Amino acid sequence: MSQVTEPEERLLIEAAQKDPSRFAELYEQNFHRVYAYIARRVRDRAETQDLTAHVFHQALANLGKFKWKGSPFAAWLYRIASNAIADQAKRKVRESSDQPNPLSESSTATDLEKVECRARLFSAVDKLPEDQRRVIVMRFADEKSIREIADELGRSEGAVKQLQFRGLENLRNRLNEK
Amino acid sequence: MAERSIIDQLDDAVAAIAEGRQSDLTNLEPELSALVGVAQDLIGLPRETFKAELQQQLIRRDSMSSPAQQTNPVRSMSFHICIAGAGAAIDFYRDAFGAKELMRLTEPDGKIGHAELQIGDAVLSISDEYPDYGTLSPKTIGGSSVKIHLDVADVDAFAERAIKAGATLVRPIEDQFYGDRSGQLADPFGYTWIVSTHLRDVPVDEMQKELDKWAQERSAKNSYEAGINEPKMRRENRHAVTPYITVHKPAELIDFVTEAFGGIEHFRATGSAGGIHAEVSIGDSIVMIGGAEHIEPMPTAIHLYVPDVDQVYERALRAGAKSLMPVADQPYGERSGGVEDAQGNRWYIATPFEPLQTIAQDLHTVTVYFHPIGAQRFIDFVTNAFGGKELMRHAEGEMIMHAKVQIGDSVIELGEARYPTQPLPTAIYLNVDDVDTTYEQALKAGGTSMLAPTDQPFGDRNAWVKDPFDNVWYVAAPVKRQSGA
Repeated sequence: MSQVTEPEERLLIEAAQKDPSRFAELYEQNFHRVYAYIARRVRDRAETQDLTAHVFHQALANLGKFKWKGSPFAAWLYRIASNAIADQAKRKVRESSDQPNPLSESSTATDLEKVECRARLFSAVDKLPEDQRRVIVMRFADEKSIREIADELGRSEGAVKQLQFRGLENLRNRLNEK
Repeated sequence: MAERSIIDQLDDAVAAIAEGRQSDLTNLEPELSALVGVAQDLIGLPRETFKAELQQQLIRRDSMSSPAQQTNPVRSMSFHICIAGAGAAIDFYRDAFGAKELMRLTEPDGKIGHAELQIGDAVLSISDEYPDYGTLSPKTIGGSSVKIHLDVADVDAFAERAIKAGATLVRPIEDQFYGDRSGQLADPFGYTWIVSTHLRDVPVDEMQKELDKWAQERSAKNSYEAGINEPKMRRENRHAVTPYITVHKPAELIDFVTEAFGGIEHFRATGSAGGIHAEVSIGDSIVMIGGAEHIEPMPTAIHLYVPDVDQVYERALRAGAKSLMPVADQPYGERSGGVEDAQGNRWYIATPFEPLQTIAQDLHTVTVYFHPIGAQRFIDFVTNAFGGKELMRHAEGEMIMHAKVQIGDSVIELGEARYPTQPLPTAIYLNVDDVDTTYEQALKAGGTSMLAPTDQPFGDRNAWVKDPFDNVWYVAAPVKRQSGA
């Protein structure tokens, strides 16, 4: 997720409205934001993935209706995400009526800041040195143990832990730079 | 508790977070606790396969929803390439192109059955070779006709990185008429990658105009290069004695020599009157072939020394020659046969029983055979005119059946004319050191002048002499430059 300026984002949106194949760029810009937004409210990975997919399918289908009103494109996506999460929660409540709705539908400013921060972290993983990136991805995205990673990469557990340490250190430094 | 290293302590905390256990961060030093904080935020990091697959879905959905494409039954296209050593290729594409490995399926012996890499917004599938399934790599096939195109943000920086990783630049990175800056890189596995950065939009009709211009310039350049080559004839392999075979249909003779004797055409020029001059090499020698319908032919007899007479004889017959004499072992030390081509040249094809150079050191593949009336007088003429030295003769009484005479770095052969098809006078391109001196000597020895020494536009000084046996000698040497005074 690289930061784009407001005029750049407007151009991206207009391009995608004319030619939907250009949607890939908006997707690339916003994937981590949407994912982080949903993951913050939905702990389950499969559910997060389903909702993220739903948001982008909705966004693509309704892109023509999007009108620039001064707020970033991400805000529009967050609104779609928020509605999707709420719908999902309502469905769940109907399915098992003993559960109260655990979600607040309003997003405070600090809440969104945290989402942005996490999205930046996810994007920063892509820019890690390759051996560190692989370890971080296997550990946190694929949820593998140090031993499993060591076996798969053909390295010692010590070396994998070392890469994990360097990777996290690098990520922290990158976040502090911003 | 024993002191654990900071790396282990961090991993303990990460493991606890991953398993959803509460971990007490209060005892950690600030350095470590900051890293644990990062790890906490990383829980739930999206999977790369999910991100890539969702993108693919969106692209497919988009092509479904676009009305123009509803009639197209194909949703998307992607590459599946085969590489001998797919593992090394994945490393290379990662380092060179920034590819991200999404997944790989590996056999127990390490062979990669299927792997997916994300390059830009496309997914590239790779596998090792599976010959039983017809899955072969460029290395095995001997190349790939497919080039893969990468549109990149900064083609120069991209190429530099790829080259550092081991790619080879096969076409330089340059601004192109179609609005891209692009070049081509070869990877170590046999694939070529076109890499480009789009600079400006160029309308198609403008591109077509540029292409037309380029095609025109290329053809002009080619004819220019052919033009400046014209006067330069091949001097390598040109021995002192080179037969100049003049026939009605030189193009057909060139084809015959190529087919029958594996000749290689090096040069062909067509004069304004339609006459052809060509040079064709056979083995270590050159034959010059010329003529036209309106030019009197001068068929020639050649003793052609080859490694396998039977094979060459057969090829000559297949190429349209008629047999003069089937291949047989001869009492004079060679296995030979004879053919006559469609234009009347006689080729005595031979494989000697002993190595060629032990018969005569300068015996070449193409050796001209003369059939003069009065062989002794002919030997006298070439001795006096061209400094010839008799190497051997086989005579029956007064009649010279066969002789070899050295001229310069060549050997000519001769035998007294004794058949109706002989004497068969011949033309020779004779390379000498000094045209003028040789010309004088040749006239003194009984030759007739056809052309006094003259500098020719093709770079040789020439004098033409007809000997008393009606053979024509084109005496030649490179034009001498004026000494720069």
